[in-house]
Amino acid sequence: MTESKVIDGLRYSKEHEWAKEEDGLIVVGISDYAQESIHEITFIEVSEAGTEVEAGGECGLIESMKASSSIYSPVAGEIVEVNEELEVAPEIVNEDPYGKGWLFKIKPTNKDADLDALMDSSAYSEYIESL
Amino acid sequence: MSDKLERTHLYEWHNQHGDVIPFAGWEMPVRYSDIREEHLAVREKVGIFDTTHMFRFFISGPDAEVFLQLLTTNNVSKLGVNDGHYSTCLNEQGGTHDDLMLYRIGEEEYIWVTNAVNGPKIFKHMQTHAKKYDVKIENRSREVVMIAVQGPKALSLLNKITSIDVNKFSRFTCNPVSIKGYNCYLCRTGYTGEDGGEILLLDSPYDETGKKRATKFWEMLLEEGAEFGVKPCGLGARDSTRLEAGFVLYGHELDEETSPIEARIPYAVKFKVEPHYIGYDVVKSHKKEGVPKTRIGLEMIDRGIPREGYPIFFNKSKIGETTSGGLSPILGKGIALAYVEPDIVKVDDVVIIDIRGRERKARVVMWPFYDSDKYGSTRKE
Repeated sequence: MTESKVIDGLRYSKEHEWAKEEDGLIVVGISDYAQESIHEITFIEVSEAGTEVEAGGECGLIESMKASSSIYSPVAGEIVEVNEELEVAPEIVNEDPYGKGWLFKIKPTNKDADLDALMDSSAYSEYIESL
Repeated sequence: MSDKLERTHLYEWHNQHGDVIPFAGWEMPVRYSDIREEHLAVREKVGIFDTTHMFRFFISGPDAEVFLQLLTTNNVSKLGVNDGHYSTCLNEQGGTHDDLMLYRIGEEEYIWVTNAVNGPKIFKHMQTHAKKYDVKIENRSREVVMIAVQGPKALSLLNKITSIDVNKFSRFTCNPVSIKGYNCYLCRTGYTGEDGGEILLLDSPYDETGKKRATKFWEMLLEEGAEFGVKPCGLGARDSTRLEAGFVLYGHELDEETSPIEARIPYAVKFKVEPHYIGYDVVKSHKKEGVPKTRIGLEMIDRGIPREGYPIFFNKSKIGETTSGGLSPILGKGIALAYVEPDIVKVDDVVIIDIRGRERKARVVMWPFYDSDKYGSTRKE
């Protein structure tokens, strides 16, 4: 596997989601390492806007040709927007996991503590090295 | 699994060019590039698969025919020399030890190709029953490499590399041919739904020379096939193409508790045979009196990708479970094979699949899942 890209300034979960604060909301996606491990993404489904999730709670599915993986929210709150482009073109997550391939936005209820509990880019880089 | 994993002759090539994973005791390539691209190469052009992990038993002797008829459910006496057929091998209760291809390569000589996962079990089963018969059973899996060449351009590729016209061999035949100087059997069979062949590359001992020879042969297929758009294909595309064709996979749609009548592979099961094979009475009663469960195909109406083990509901009652599922790249939809209680649903009925807590509608359909006028071995070109 080629070396996975890790972006500075994002927070990362052990389940390979990233979280980024933007206009009071948290944008969530999956890391480059995750999309490489999943390979050809064929289908993405995220719980609809309005759904309340816990930090670490399951809130969607990513399917590849070979397997099904769960999406976990790295922070608690209410899902306020889902990336609808992924419904027709889920491969965007393979192509641009940190940009156009974002999954959903969340209105956080416990923002600071939840973000603190995640890893920064160097800790996450070390974590994926160890896997 | 703590046992050391086996490798085929082509392992080094696979490891250099693809992602190798453990499968049924073997280290096999799951993909070389992208499973969907490999899948589409098979449906639109040609793909090659290393299937050497399967077992090849050579069965010979004066009693070979009667011995094989005791063990398998198709009509062995109907096989002419160089014919082959799909068959099953059953237990006493009519459940399935394995599904297999049987080829007759001489008056008293046959090749039995069986699944990797069931090879040791089948070899033992044969030896147990061979005692009363004048028959020789040789496991030649390690000295015969097997490569499937599948897709609408497969015969063009095979014709290019052999001096004979392979179109004259009808489906399911198995003929000795020389391919670029390599002694082979060319079986006009496969597991993708497409036309093509499975090549048994003979004289390939599992040593450095044999591995080099097999790798040269594989690379030759890729070079000669380049003009037809050939792609090497891994187990991922092997599974997705067989699923789209509606073929059963042992461990999913077939097992020791499932009969070939329940699996709806009636072409593998004949009743006017002598002697009656092991399991005969049970499959006969399944055929005459009905089955406790039956296999169906499902195509998603709602969004979602069904996988193995998802519950299926009809009129709010649970009627069964999926046994295989995934995306059909040709349909762009989720598809599944499933077992349900018999006589409840028919083609076009709408059922609910519970996809990890999400209730999703699917339609009961007959396989193959693709339009067989446009794809597969009966396509109209």
